[in-house]
Amino acid sequence: MKYLNLIWRNVFRKKTRMVLTTGSIVLVLVLIVVLTSLLRAMEADPSGGKGSNRLIVQHSTGLGNLLPLSQRQRIEQIPGVVAVSPETWFGGVYKDDRPENWIGQLSADPDIYFDKIFDDATIDPKVNAEWKATRNGFVAGKKIADKFGWKKGDHIILRGTYIPTNLDLVYIGPYSAGDESNVFFHNEYLNEANWFGKNRLTGLYYLKVANGEDVPRVAAAIDRMFENSDAPTKTLTEKQFQLQFMEMMGNVKLLINGISLIILFAVTLIVANTVAMSARERVTEIAVMRTLGFRRSHILSFILSESVLMSLLGGILGVLIAKFVLIPMLLAVGEKTSISAWLINFRVTVPTLVMAFTVSVGVGVLAGFVPAINSSRIKIVDGLRQVV
Amino acid sequence: MAIPLKYNFRNLFVRRVSTGMTVFVIGLVVAVFLCVLALVQGVTRTLSVTASTRNVLTLRVGSQAEMQSVITRDQADQIKSLPGIERSPDGRPYVSPEIITLISLPREDGKTSSNVQVRGMDPIGVEMRPSVKIVDGRMFQTGSNEAIVSRNLSKRYANMKLGQPLKSGSFRWIIVGLFDASGSAYESEIWTDAKDLQQQFKRQVFSSVFVRTPDAAAANRYIETVKGDQRLKLEGKTERKYYDEQMITGDPIKALAFIVGLFTAIGASFGAMNTMYAQVSARTREIGTLRAIGFSRRSILLSFVLESLMLCLAGGLLGVVFTQLVFSTFLTKPTGTMNFRTFSEVLFNFRMTPPLIVGGLVFSLAMGLLGGFFPAARAARLKIINALREI
Repeated sequence: MKYLNLIWRNVFRKKTRMVLTTGSIVLVLVLIVVLTSLLRAMEADPSGGKGSNRLIVQHSTGLGNLLPLSQRQRIEQIPGVVAVSPETWFGGVYKDDRPENWIGQLSADPDIYFDKIFDDATIDPKVNAEWKATRNGFVAGKKIADKFGWKKGDHIILRGTYIPTNLDLVYIGPYSAGDESNVFFHNEYLNEANWFGKNRLTGLYYLKVANGEDVPRVAAAIDRMFENSDAPTKTLTEKQFQLQFMEMMGNVKLLINGISLIILFAVTLIVANTVAMSARERVTEIAVMRTLGFRRSHILSFILSESVLMSLLGGILGVLIAKFVLIPMLLAVGEKTSISAWLINFRVTVPTLVMAFTVSVGVGVLAGFVPAINSSRIKIVDGLRQVV
Repeated sequence: MAIPLKYNFRNLFVRRVSTGMTVFVIGLVVAVFLCVLALVQGVTRTLSVTASTRNVLTLRVGSQAEMQSVITRDQADQIKSLPGIERSPDGRPYVSPEIITLISLPREDGKTSSNVQVRGMDPIGVEMRPSVKIVDGRMFQTGSNEAIVSRNLSKRYANMKLGQPLKSGSFRWIIVGLFDASGSAYESEIWTDAKDLQQQFKRQVFSSVFVRTPDAAAANRYIETVKGDQRLKLEGKTERKYYDEQMITGDPIKALAFIVGLFTAIGASFGAMNTMYAQVSARTREIGTLRAIGFSRRSILLSFVLESLMLCLAGGLLGVVFTQLVFSTFLTKPTGTMNFRTFSEVLFNFRMTPPLIVGGLVFSLAMGLLGGFFPAARAARLKIINALREI
C-alpha cells in the first residue's frame, strides 16, 4: 500500500497514452455492460419469481392455434388449481402500426384475474371492482397508461388484425407490476364481437396453482388430459413461456457472449501493448530501482498493479457511463421500436456490476502479466547499459 | 516531396510485437463488425431476394402479415374472376388461395424450438414461384396430407428428413419432397395442400390469395381493382412490397451492429493511436533528420497517417480472413431469427459478399485515419532543433 503513490504516478506518467488506453477499456466495458444487461433483461422473469406458482396452457402446436373454451372446466377440476382464466392475445393496432404505439392486448376473466391469478400486481380495489362491473372497460399497466396519458373514462379503439373486429374500450385505471406493457379487457366483451372463435376458442389459459411443489404435477396432468383430444396442450411455467420467445430469436445468447468475449480479448491486447510500451521505456529506471534495493517481486507487482489500476479505472468509468448515460438513452430510443417489449427489465443489475468489475480486474491482470514478468527479469547491468 | 512508403513499411517491422498486436486487435474488431453485418445482410437478403413485382398477395385490409389476414371462400372465388390475372399455358388462372398457420417445432439440437410457418396452397402456387425448385423427392399431392419443406429447414429442424412423418399436436404430414427457394423467405416454410390444411386446421377460410399478373403494370391495375371493389374489403400488395415491409425484422440487429461497430471501432483506434504515438516518440530524432534534409511538415504528416492506414489495413485484411474462417468452419448451417411481423423463424445464411469485404476494409481504414492523425500531427509539429537534440 505504501507504494500506491508510486504506482498512481506511473499510471499517469504519459497522460495521452493513459487516457487512450483507459478510453478503450471504458468503451469496451460500456458495450459489455449494455449487452449483458440486454441479455439479462430478455431472460428476466418480470414477476421477480412471484410467478413461479403460475402456469400457462397453450396449444401444443404453439401460439398460432387456439384452444377450445370447453377445456376450462376440466382444468379447474384438477386438484391444486386455484383459478383459471382464459386469455386471448388480441394483437390489434392502436392508433397506427408504428412500433412506439405497440401495446400488449389481452382479454381476461375480470372476476378472478387480479384477485386470484395475477396477484403480484397491485391494483386499487376500487379500480378492480369498477373494472369487473364495466363490460367494455380496460385496465392498463401504469407505464403505458402514463405514456399515452389515459385518464379515467377515455375511449380507445383497437383495430383487430387476425381477429377481424374492432374493440372500443373505456379506460378504468392502472395496475402496477413487473410487466406493465399490457392492457386487459373482458373475455365477454371480446366474445360479443363476431369472430371465428366467438364463445368457442381462447388463445391460452393462465392459471394459478396453490402450492409450488404441485406445479410440475398439475402441468403434467393438464397435458395428459388433452393429449389425445382435438386440441392437445403444452403447459409451461411463466418463465418457460418467456424463454420460448427468446428461443425464437435464435441464438442471441451465443452471439452476445461471443461478441463480448472477442472484444474483451481485443482490449486485453490493447492494454498489454500499452503496459509493455511503458515498461520498455522504463528499463533504465527499473534497473536503477533494482540497484536501490527493490526486489524483482517489487517490480513485478508494480507493473502488474499499474495495469490492474488502469483497467479498474476504465471499468468504473465504463459502468457509470453505461448505467447513467447509454442505457437511459437506449431505453428512450428503444421505446419507439418493435423491441420495446423486451426492454422492460433493461437495467444494470448487481450481478452485472460484479461481473463488470471482475472482468476489468481480469483484463488488467492478463494484460500486465507478461510485461511485468519481462521487466522483473531484466538484469541490472543490461538495464543500466541500455539507452532508450 | 513525399517520403517513400518503403520507409513506413519497414518501420512497422522494427517493432514487430507492438505492430503485430495492434494488427491483431484491429483484425478482431473488424471480424466482429463483419459478423454482425453479415447477420443483418443475411436477414434482409432473405426477405428481398427473388420477390417479384408481378406476383400480388391479396390480404384483408390492414393486415401486416398473412397470418393476420382472413379471406373467406366466397372472396377467394370472386378474386378468381377479376380481370388481369395471368393464365397458365393450359388455361388455368394463376390464383392460389393460401392458408397460413404457425406450428412450434423442435430444432435439430432437440433442446430449443421455434415457430415455423406452414403454407397450405393450391398446387399451382408452386408453379407461380419460379425461384422454388424441388431438388429431392416429389411434389405433394392433394388429399394425402403430404408436405414439402425447404432443404435448409430440413437441416435445421428435427424429424424433417425426406420420407419422415412430421407431427405437431394433431397435425400430421409426410415429407415427400425437399425444395430450394434460392435463399428467399420461402426457405423458412413448410408447404402443403390448402384443402388438406383446412381440414386438419378445422377452419374453412384462407389467409391470403396469391395472384400472378403478366407484368408490373398489370399488377398495379389488379391492386387498384381490388381496392376499388367495395364488396371485397381486401387489399393487394406486390410480393416485393410485402417482404420489403417485413425488413423491420432486421432493425434490432442493425442497431446492435451500429452500437457494437461504433464502440469497438473507437476503442481499437485508441489502441492504434497509442501505437502510433509510441512510434512517433521513438523516432523523434529520425523525424528531425527527415526535416533537416528537406522534407516538409506536410510530408511528415502524410507519411505517419499513411503508416497508420497501412497498419490498420493489414488489420482489416486479417479481419476479413478471420470472418471467412468463422463462416466456413462454424456457421456453415443455416441460422434463424424471429421475424417480428410473422412471428415465425426466418432462415438465412451467413455469407461473405464483396460489399461486405469492402465495408470491413473501409471500417479499418477509418480506424487508421482516426488513430493516425493526431500522432502524425504531433510528429509534423516537432521543431527540428528539439527533435535532433533528443536522445
